Amino acid sequence: MNAVFTGIFLASLVALTVVAPQNVLPALLGGAEKSLKMAVTLFCIYAVWMGISRLAEKSGLSRAAARGLKPLTRRLFKTENEAANENIAMNLSCNLLGIGGAATPYAVKAISELEKENNGFAQKLLFIINATSVQVVPSTVIAMRAAAGSAAAADIFLPSLICTTFSTLFAVGVYLLGCRIWR
Amino acid sequence: MALVVPVIFIAVFLFAAVKKVKIYDEFSAGVKEAVKFTLSVIPCLAAIFMMCELFEASGLADRLTEAFSPLFAFWGIPKELTKLVLIKPFSGSGSLAYLNNIIENYGADSYVARCACVCYGSSETVFYISAVYFASLKQKKLFAPIAIAVISAFLTTVLACLLCKIM
Repeated sequence: MNAVFTGIFLASLVALTVVAPQNVLPALLGGAEKSLKMAVTLFCIYAVWMGISRLAEKSGLSRAAARGLKPLTRRLFKTENEAANENIAMNLSCNLLGIGGAATPYAVKAISELEKENNGFAQKLLFIINATSVQVVPSTVIAMRAAAGSAAAADIFLPSLICTTFSTLFAVGVYLLGCRIWR
Repeated sequence: MALVVPVIFIAVFLFAAVKKVKIYDEFSAGVKEAVKFTLSVIPCLAAIFMMCELFEASGLADRLTEAFSPLFAFWGIPKELTKLVLIKPFSGSGSLAYLNNIIENYGADSYVARCACVCYGSSETVFYISAVYFASLKQKKLFAPIAIAVISAFLTTVLACLLCKIM
């Protein structure tokens, strides 16, 4: 990210200085202002969803979901490590609920558990599932559309569900197939 | 479809009430986490948004869009989405910036904005995630999983643009 940021920032800075140097500072200030507006929008979204997800967590709903997923994770990830299974299941259920931010810490824990048994297969599989996003409720975008005055903010629910299902199934399928062929 | 979110909220609240969770306390505790989280992303957001503004103002963004849009157009991806699709694998805040731009410029219910929302909602920051997840690993050989994730993200974008046309 550092290289990408530096590259784009510097290239744009130089290009803009050549074309219109008086626009450099206004662009930077404008960007900073937009970032605060975005932060306010984001806060509203997180406040709602993190409030709800905290309730789901404290009432044991998240745990219950994780327990339901466990037989599946044990098979799919080929691991008997209890802590790893638990963390994977929590990661998946957070993802399903669309709270990606909450999912990451569980994934990182699961990855380090899997490292103990040298299970590279499961680590990569977990990465692929997370990197292709498994989200049932795209909460952030629905909220952003609602904030922008959409008439039916949730009407992207179905296409999103189809897309996210496709992306995960496709990637996992290719990966599993690849593992069979190259082994 | 409008029912999905309210029904989830009602279910969670009822379940929490049955389990005798102190709903007000815990809900506010969740919001407190949201405050912390928002404060923690502001520095990144500010830096990225400044970069995006410069990138736009310098005209480089338009060049990039022009360079990639024939390729994207071939796959049915509207040219307005080019920047969003290109930045998404690297940065969540960056793609959020462009998503926000698209929604503001074209209206939340336009085809382009709906498309952008579906693309954003059904893909992830592949390179960022790979950095976070694999930071602690000794054995690498990560090219294949990352390549699979990137290809799948691209195909999903194509599918999203198709679906938004008919749904």
